[in-house]
Amino acid sequence: MEVLNGRSALLSNYEVLTLLKELENDHLARSKAAMRIKKEEEVASGQHTHTDVLPDISENLRTIQVEAIQYLSSEHLPTTSQTPTGVSNLITALAPYDLTKSEKLQIVNLAPTRPVELYVIIEELEDRLGDSMDTILDTIKSSLSAPPPSHVNGKSTTFTSTATSLLGASSSSGGRGTWDEVDAEAIIDDVEFVDHAGEAEGDLDVDDE
Amino acid sequence: MFSLSIIKDTVAIQPSQFGQPADEAIIAELNKKYANRVLHDIGLCICIFDLSQVGEGKVRYGDGCLWYKVVFRMVIFRPFISEVVIAKVKSSDEDGIRLTMGFFDDMYIPAAYLPQPAAFDPNERAHFWLPDSEAATSQQLLDSPVSDRMYIDQGEVLRVRVEAEDFYDDEPGPPKMAEGVQVVREPKRAPYNIICSIAEQGLGPVAWWSAQQGGEDDAMDQR
Repeated sequence: MEVLNGRSALLSNYEVLTLLKELENDHLARSKAAMRIKKEEEVASGQHTHTDVLPDISENLRTIQVEAIQYLSSEHLPTTSQTPTGVSNLITALAPYDLTKSEKLQIVNLAPTRPVELYVIIEELEDRLGDSMDTILDTIKSSLSAPPPSHVNGKSTTFTSTATSLLGASSSSGGRGTWDEVDAEAIIDDVEFVDHAGEAEGDLDVDDE
Repeated sequence: MFSLSIIKDTVAIQPSQFGQPADEAIIAELNKKYANRVLHDIGLCICIFDLSQVGEGKVRYGDGCLWYKVVFRMVIFRPFISEVVIAKVKSSDEDGIRLTMGFFDDMYIPAAYLPQPAAFDPNERAHFWLPDSEAATSQQLLDSPVSDRMYIDQGEVLRVRVEAEDFYDDEPGPPKMAEGVQVVREPKRAPYNIICSIAEQGLGPVAWWSAQQGGEDDAMDQR
């Protein structure tokens, strides 16, 4: 292994959440398909087969996916109420204020709506920005859409209705608001019937240590 | 908080995976190797972002695997120094507070980085901050009326600034034997630790600042 570039680009929380959600949906769809094929084979041949038809996915990846999605979609972060156009409009609107790249990234990630939150992110806020602080806060506020409940699951429409309702159930059971261990298990349990029973809980226990 | 790293590696694809498209098999193999692991001086690997270059699969003498030389981009969790992030209190002790982000929980606030004057209350197992107090010693602080204390309880959501990061690469060394039985070595230190601070205006429990703002400035648009 060789690292060519340790930090070639910075990613915003929104981009990471979108990527992880895509992977998650992809995984669910594949597991469903694999399940269905297995069922059909069983019906056709009339006997129970034990062949492992589930696509090969590592437990590490599943764990970090579930936990990171939970963190990023918690209510303390604005990520779920962001949209690609909202974010790019915000960046364009921030351009005249001469902020550094990392300051802009933090504004996008945390979406401060109070002056005190902006103070923390931007050094020497008053000298640099002066009166335009309120304008910036308004711009940030307008870049956030009110999170409609369907927004989070909006991309799952291509799946079978069961997959969609499964996803809906898991995110309403605790996706927003908290990222407690309890919820982690709830989500994994929801996904469980497409996985091998018991496996998912096992790898969560390992990670709790 | 997250960034992309470009990494070069060689992966072996087992013959059982030859049925899948090569790129999917390679991504699955790389995720198995890297996801949820810490790379020294790089950060915590989340997942593969995409493949940039893939060489031709080669068969080596001795196994049936196809070996690919791959250059890929990976999503890395590594908040930069002075970045402000949101995290939750996992536990507290005399030395400081341990934080968790759900997927990463080797984040610490040492007692020195708490807003001063602060002290640890052993009964509540939590640190508290006494705003506008003259008390200096921990004894004086613990004698203060409980109603003045601002506790940082377990599970509370904090806004923290990243102050430092520590990577440890513990060499496994030769296996230790005791009476002919191999001793399992326990990893002593986490490979990647983040040191955070809340000793600043605006940092600390998110609720502190949203409440204060509401009291001082009613004209502010409340959520």
